[in-house]
Amino acid sequence: MKKITIIFSVLIILTMVLTACGKTAGEKTVLNVWSFTNEIQTMAIAFEKTHPDVDVVYTMIPMTNGEYQTKLMATLGTDQVPDVIALEAAFVKQYVESDFLADLKSLNADVKKADVYPFVTEVGTFDGVLKGLSYQATPGALFYRRSLAKAYFGTDDPVEMQKILGDMDKYLAAAAVVKEKSAGDTFMVASNGDFMNLFYANRANPWIVDGTLTVDPMVNKLIETAKAFRDNGYEAKATQWQEGWFAGMNDSLVGADGKPKQIFSYFLPTWGLPYVLAPHAASADGTKTTAGDWAMITGPLPYQWGGTWLGVMKDSKNLKLAKEFIRFCTLDETNLTNWATGVYTNAYLKAIDPNTPEGQAQAAGDFVGSKVVVNKITAGFDNSELSKFLGGQNSYGAFALAAPSVNARLMQGSDDAIQRAFNDPLASYLDGNITLDVMWQTWKDAVHNEFPELKIP
Amino acid sequence: MIKSRLNKNNYGYIFIAPFIIGFMIFGLYPVLNTLWLSFTNTTLMTSHAKFIWFDNFKALFADEMFIKAMKNTWLLWLLNFIPQLGMAMLVSVWFTSTRLRIKGVGIWRVIFYLPNLMMAAVVAALFFSLFSYYGPVNQLLVRAGIIPEAIDYIRDRTVMRALVVFIQWWLWFGQTIIILMAAMTSISVSVYEAALVDGANGWQMFRFITLPLIKPVMIYVLVTSLVGGMQMFDIPYLLTDGRGSPANAILTNNILMYMKFRSNQGHIGAASSVGMMVFVMTSFVALLIFYLLRDKDAAKASKKVNGGKDNA
Repeated sequence: MKKITIIFSVLIILTMVLTACGKTAGEKTVLNVWSFTNEIQTMAIAFEKTHPDVDVVYTMIPMTNGEYQTKLMATLGTDQVPDVIALEAAFVKQYVESDFLADLKSLNADVKKADVYPFVTEVGTFDGVLKGLSYQATPGALFYRRSLAKAYFGTDDPVEMQKILGDMDKYLAAAAVVKEKSAGDTFMVASNGDFMNLFYANRANPWIVDGTLTVDPMVNKLIETAKAFRDNGYEAKATQWQEGWFAGMNDSLVGADGKPKQIFSYFLPTWGLPYVLAPHAASADGTKTTAGDWAMITGPLPYQWGGTWLGVMKDSKNLKLAKEFIRFCTLDETNLTNWATGVYTNAYLKAIDPNTPEGQAQAAGDFVGSKVVVNKITAGFDNSELSKFLGGQNSYGAFALAAPSVNARLMQGSDDAIQRAFNDPLASYLDGNITLDVMWQTWKDAVHNEFPELKIP
Repeated sequence: MIKSRLNKNNYGYIFIAPFIIGFMIFGLYPVLNTLWLSFTNTTLMTSHAKFIWFDNFKALFADEMFIKAMKNTWLLWLLNFIPQLGMAMLVSVWFTSTRLRIKGVGIWRVIFYLPNLMMAAVVAALFFSLFSYYGPVNQLLVRAGIIPEAIDYIRDRTVMRALVVFIQWWLWFGQTIIILMAAMTSISVSVYEAALVDGANGWQMFRFITLPLIKPVMIYVLVTSLVGGMQMFDIPYLLTDGRGSPANAILTNNILMYMKFRSNQGHIGAASSVGMMVFVMTSFVALLIFYLLRDKDAAKASKKVNGGKDNA
């Protein structure tokens, strides 16, 4: 009896193993896409509609503490490597400069047809080879409070304000006006971190030239400006992304002495409006809201902030399909139009894939990277929710004004690490704890720690 | 007859084999791999790696940040551990004392242990929020008139270090109490009663009875706290920006190792060398603890017995 039960169990196990091997006929091609948000999953579902024989397997790993970058780096050179990867602005150049991404020159014709903004392709290009493309463009802008502008400058019209805040010297002068007229209760900007991007984006030299660390004069200007803002009390010391920074957006910022404080302007890019400013314009207890009291201008200097690029891993086994996926997401006029005008609602997506999670819908308003599409749809945003938020100003049109002058030619993969190493020494210097020379030395030590082979003068 | 007895002895090896194999794979192999990596210049973003002998270690000792990290780790651990051990001893003695007979010891133990159950991320976020520039502590102190204007605590080195020390103390205090109490309750009461008859006071009883008899547990507490302290990572990492700011005041060994690992190129060779230094340091001090707290009387006694045997 024992022997028979043993033989039976072995036979059952064997059949189970063999049935698992038998499912090859009629299988869809699998495309592995990795990203750090759920955004691209919407486009992945739309892609499955036009390509029913493809199954896009979407993996989302958050990048709040760098988990996405770490996990991605761990797959390089192995067979676990995904086909398509999303790359955020902070680390996109690192991958574009490496050998891990495939050449996208087959998409050059489509890039021209879609008339992609130059800075979007500049970021994705290295040594003349195009390796990354983005569906969105993220030019930055300056958002100011209309009521405060009327009180301190006599006008809230964007055209006039752009003249008043046309460059960083004018911005500094305006900060003095704001402080004087508000008796110190209104700060021009929340923190010096707010305008760092502007200086970094308008350098004349990249950070690393011929393997040597170079400090562009714009960086010196940044430090002078930051010191001026701190010494004169033009900034609220409300560091970005912390409670105070958000509180300033809905007028619930209260100084330690109990007096309410206000913040005149915020530097935010395209995604900053719907994802940061608009949600935080209403105070937590719901009593106050600044919606409708904002307007936007290009600001003192053009810059870009963030953005998601897509690249194909060279070791992928589905190169052609992966490139087609990227073409669909970033250059296909229909997809980009649907994406930006909110066609991808929950109902639409569920009709394609019933397993779509709730809330996967893409709201209208994302600024896409194709000039052709932008020009086509700008007028449609005249009466949108975001337009009401800006007191009637068409945000899409305003960003379209800012986008062409942004340049990303000097961006390098090491930029983020080098710039991040500035934050702590600069803060210590502004607090008056260290001298300027010590600040530079501390920064250089931190950069040396991060890049041991870099020549540092 | 003898054969079967020998076979039965071999069963012992078979029973412990699974654990040994598991330990070799999940415990020993990573240590050896780290040792190997620390002698190379492997990075995550490049596919080839060279064997560079001690270059990583040379660079490490020439690096100011590493020396700082070492000093910080020792400082933060000692400042946290000495008060922790001192207070835990005191509280344990009170709770296990038959003279004091404190009521509700179980409830007190639970209350002291609860902070240990909180996640590091939650605690760090809580304290960061409390001490931020526009946060409650500033608001309270300024409006109560204790300080004239808000202080940026996050940028103050002493305050941040004190916060890390306090949080570590607060989180692990309960754990130490429970272990010390368990050790103290295992000492038989008759020893204390005999001492009482001989006229010993509280301090003498503590020094000559309690302390020597809980030596094995003390070794455990010291070594586990040492290992945890040398690898202190979660609180300093989550409290500020993950780089030991302000001005590297709370930069610890493991944060430095993680920074090297997460750097632009992913220098896992350099990160492994930091790891190896932590390993060497911890092992050395742990062995020192074992040596200093060894049972001297038992060693002498076994020598006597062995000496006697040889002579006879």
